[in-house]
Order: sequence, then structure tokens, then C-alpha cells
Amino acid sequence: MRILLVEDDSLVSDAISRGLIGSGYVVDAVGDAESVASRLSDTHYDLAIVDLGLPGEDGLSLVRRLRRSGSSLPLLIVTARDGLDDRINALDLGADDYLVKPFALPELAARCRALIRRATAAAANEIVIGGLRIDLAGRRALNEKGEVLELTRREWSILECLAHHSGRVVSKERLTQAITGWSEDISGNAIEVHVSRLRSKLGSAATVRGIRGLGYRLEDA
Amino acid sequence: MAERKRPTSVHRRLLSYLLAPLLLLLVAGVAVDHHVIVSPIHSAFDHSLSRAALAIVARIHSRGDGQLDVNLPPRPPLPLRAMPDEHFYYRVSLPDGTTVAGTPELPITPDTQSADGFSYTNINFRGQLFRLASYRTSETGDPLIVTVAETPARRDRAVHRLDVAFLINDTVQMAAVLIIALIGISISLRPLQRLSRQIAGRPAAALNQLQTNEVPAEVLPLVESLNALLGRVRDSVLSQQHFLANAAHQLRTPLTGLKAQLEVLSRETAGTALQERITLLQGGVDRLAHTANQLLTLARAEPSAHRASHFTAVDLPHLIGEVIDSSLDRAVAHGIDLGAECEPVQVTGVYWLLLEVLNNLIDNAIRHTPAGGNITIRCGTTDQRPFLEVDDSGVGIPVEERDKVRERFYRSVRSTNDGSDGCGLGLAIVDEVARVHGAHLSILDGTSGRGVRMRIDFPAAV
Repeated sequence: MRILLVEDDSLVSDAISRGLIGSGYVVDAVGDAESVASRLSDTHYDLAIVDLGLPGEDGLSLVRRLRRSGSSLPLLIVTARDGLDDRINALDLGADDYLVKPFALPELAARCRALIRRATAAAANEIVIGGLRIDLAGRRALNEKGEVLELTRREWSILECLAHHSGRVVSKERLTQAITGWSEDISGNAIEVHVSRLRSKLGSAATVRGIRGLGYRLEDA
Repeated sequence: MAERKRPTSVHRRLLSYLLAPLLLLLVAGVAVDHHVIVSPIHSAFDHSLSRAALAIVARIHSRGDGQLDVNLPPRPPLPLRAMPDEHFYYRVSLPDGTTVAGTPELPITPDTQSADGFSYTNINFRGQLFRLASYRTSETGDPLIVTVAETPARRDRAVHRLDVAFLINDTVQMAAVLIIALIGISISLRPLQRLSRQIAGRPAAALNQLQTNEVPAEVLPLVESLNALLGRVRDSVLSQQHFLANAAHQLRTPLTGLKAQLEVLSRETAGTALQERITLLQGGVDRLAHTANQLLTLARAEPSAHRASHFTAVDLPHLIGEVIDSSLDRAVAHGIDLGAECEPVQVTGVYWLLLEVLNNLIDNAIRHTPAGGNITIRCGTTDQRPFLEVDDSGVGIPVEERDKVRERFYRSVRSTNDGSDGCGLGLAIVDEVARVHGAHLSILDGTSGRGVRMRIDFPAAV
């Protein structure tokens, strides 16, 4: 996996490069937005990490330019600006994720992993959480051993809904809405029953964590 | 020290300046009125007294022998009869002083040579005041003097009654003038009251300009200089915020570099003696990073940094969901059960500030709650006031420390579950943001009997 790092601060650039190389990535670092185009033309990258505060053309403008040229390269923004407006702006322009400085290297590595996986899975119309592979097109879920899980329609709907919001808490109401296509009258207790059955079927591939008063979250086991 | 004087009220001053002259005017008015009416009333009563004298004259007949015969019945008709509480005397006498009829002791007024033959005077007769009228006439042939006297009770009563009427009339007029003046004063002071309401109704830290339309010309210079002052304060607050934000901002990039370099170094030196020192360094850099972040947040939480347009409707359950998403992993890692009890409720607020508040509260709760404990975030409404609270089963905060923990950089001695400690800005941020929202932060006992419950009560929606 090859990552392009666009960061002008050498202290940060050096550390990120070393950190990501340590995590098994190949990293090319450049110091300004102008040299990005030539890099992209002759090398395939799986991800670009872009600092917003670059000398010359800034990161936001680079993101806009890349997206206008039709590039689907996953983009992770790192910046010292953390205003909500900045964040929304960057995501609206086509960035895939946003990380505010100062961050911890493991978090950066995790975000990179997630972005790359998401890009790969999107191409295959799959969602991968831990050992669980959810094949959206085939409407089936496979565990870490590659076995297809036997799920009822309601269990599948719940899993699909949770997977679409993986890493986030999904409320019971939302899950209820996801399955009311089959039944108009479903109680919160019924959801609990379905979730508990789903949980046992997922086994060690992934787990559904119940969060008191809020809902459920699909997590790596 | 001198006692503070009560502030002078324009209202009261105007009133006292009006009241004293008006009272003097009232006294003077009644005096003038009294003076004006006394003489017509006296002449009217004198006239009536003269009728009595004429009536007596009409009953005097000259007998052939030059003797006069005054023919008065035992109960003479009015006006010759005295009223029940009055005395009436008469005397018919000759120019030489010989009394023909009536009371011989009654004095006679000196001759004033008046055209109608009447002359009047006041006398003291038999211990009482009398009005005396003498009529010099020759109607019956020989010159005669008819003198009548009455007590002045009736005329005094009439004057008195009129005086009272004037007093009442003048007083009513003065009162009316005073009321009209008071209403006028109130109406013309209304712009001032509006202005003071406008100033009083502003949030304590608001630095926006006061409106100058509808401000009376007399007060306009005051309002304008106040506005100039507010402008200067606002500028200096903004530049201070700008500086803080820039400083925190500029700190972030090198901090990121330091943090990342230390992590790489730590990985590369795993298992060596350097590890321990690198861990210490990492702790220091993390604290520095946290402080820089909190400072930036605090700078931006300053009330004057927010315009009305930053305030939107914020759905508290949604906000809680958002924060739980980002805090759940840490809570799980610490073995803490993080949950929520949400009722649907909205507040008007600055979304990211409220997000910071909740993040800080949950961050505190996680740091001070031991493994196996629980943290519950609640939102709802009590007495139509929305509230947001974070309730933990941790170590709690002693009552005497609860005010101090809101101060900036106050470091509590309470233990944390991971040995980390904050920069002492978390609750200062929460307190500040609460104030920006007109809300109040209370530090209460946790509902589990242990721990602490941080509660923010928002103002009732309007």
C-alpha cells in the first residue's frame, strides 16, 4: 500500500513517514501542493494525507483540484484548524476524512487503514468489520472463516443498518425503522431479541455492543 | 468611609422642584381670593343691615305733638329679628342723643356724610363684636338717627365658606397640575428607561453597540461615548482572542511533530532503558497538547466572540449521540459502562461549543471513574428548562472544592484512574460556555451516592 504525504513541516513529515513505514506502508513525502500532480501522474497511490496549511497552494485548493480532475484517490486531511466550518468545508470539497493536530500516530494509522479498506470494499460493494465481511450486493455476511452466516431477514436488515454506520452508535428507533418494511408494529424488546440472536450468530467475527439508553454499535470482536 | 449617597433621581428632583413652588402658589392664591371676596360680601351684608334700618324708619310715625311713635311688634319680622344664634339691637335717637326707642346704650356711628345717609362701623358691645349701621334721615319730618347692630356671624360664615371653597378648588387645580406634570415627566423619561432596560437586559459580557435611534438628544452623547468604549473593549477582547487562537494554532504543528517523533522513537527503542524516559516525554507532550487545545477552546468560548448567527437550534439527544460515538472507546477501554437517558429536547446554542462542553464533562467523568463504574448522560426538561447532565459513580468532588474547580488552572487533588491529570481548564470551559448560553453549571452529588453529577440548566425556551 502506497501513501502520498503532503506536509511542509519536516518534523511532522518525518515522523509520519517513519510511523507509517513502521506500520507496513510505503510513504512518499512532498512539501508542497505543486509537486503532487507529477507524483500522481507516474505512481499509483492508495491514499493521500494532505496538510491544509501548505506554502503556496493550500490543502483545500489541492483537494478541490484533485476532485475536479476526477481523481477518486482517498484523501485524509490533517490540519491545525479545527473549526467546524473548516471541517465541513474540507469534507464538502471531497476529502474523505479529517484529523486535527496534534494527533497520535496510531490514530492516524487507524484512519489510513479504514480509508483504504473502505475504498477497496466500496469497489467490491462490501463492508468489512474485523473478521466480518458483509457482501451488500449478495445480501449475505461471511465470518472470518469464510462461512456464510444464516440470518433471518430482520437480522440481516439490522446488520446491514449497523454496518452502514460502523463505528457509530445506531439508535433502536433507527433499527426499528430499518426493519419496519416487514412489520409495522415492532417493540424495542423485539429489537433486543433480534440483536441478541444476531450477536450469537456473529460469533467471534464481530460483536454488537449495546449502549445503555442509546442503541447499538457494530465493533471488531 | 463616607456613606454612599442614594443616587439622585431625575424624577424626584423634578418633583421636588415643582412641589415647593406649587405649594407656595396655592397659599398665595387662597390669600388673594380671600381678599377679593371679603369686601363684596361685607357690602352685601351691610346692605341687608341697612334694609333693617329702613324697615324701622317705615314704622316710625310722628304723632301730632312732635312725639315719635315707633311701632314694633314683640316679634318683629325678618330682617329685624335676629337669627337664633345672633343678637340684634336697634336704637332710634335724636341728633342730640336722646333715645326715642330701642336700646339706649347702643353707640352711634360717627357721621360719614355719605350720600345715602348710612354710615357703618365695627364695635364691641356687651362683650361681643357687632356691625353697626346708623341711618341719618329726616323722612318723618325731624332729623332722626336710626342705628341697627347685628353680630357678624352670618357674614363671617359666608366668608369662611367661600374661603374653604377656594381652598378646595385651588388644591384640586394644583393636584391636577402636579399629576399632569408627573405624567409628562414619566412620558419624557421613557426613552431613558428604555435605554436603561436595554443596557440592563444585555448579557453581562455582551460588547455589541447600543442602539442610538429613539435615544433623546440629551443622552445621545452619553450613549455614543459608551458605544465607543464598548467598541474599544470589543476590539481588545477580539485581538486577545485572535492572539490566543493563533498561539494555540501555531503550537499544534510542532506538537504533532514532537508527538509523532516520540512515538516512532518509542517503537524503535522498544525494550531498551530509554523507553521509560520516552514515556515520560510523551506524557509531557500530551499534556502540552491538551493544554494548547483547551486554551484555544477557552479563547473561542469567550462570550463576546459569538454573534447571534452562531446560535442555532441544537438537538441535545443528537449531541449526546455524537459525543458518545467519540468517547465510547475510551470508556470501554477503562471498563466503564457509558450510557444515556435522553428525552427529546432542543436548546438554542453554538453547536461546537456544546460539543466541547459535553466532551469535557465526559472526559472528566471517565478520568475520575474507576473500572466497573458507570457514567450516565441525561438530557430533558425540568420546569420547562432544558438540562444536560453527566452523572458518574467516580470519586466525586468535596463540597468545599466545588467552586474552586471552575477556576482556570485549578488542580484538584482527587485521584484519577489512570494517573493522568488535566490542565485544569475543562470545567472553566464548561462554566464559560454555560454562561455564553445563559445557562448555569451546578456540581451536585452523583445519583448513585458516589461520584459527581455535572448539570447544566439552560434558560426556558422563549
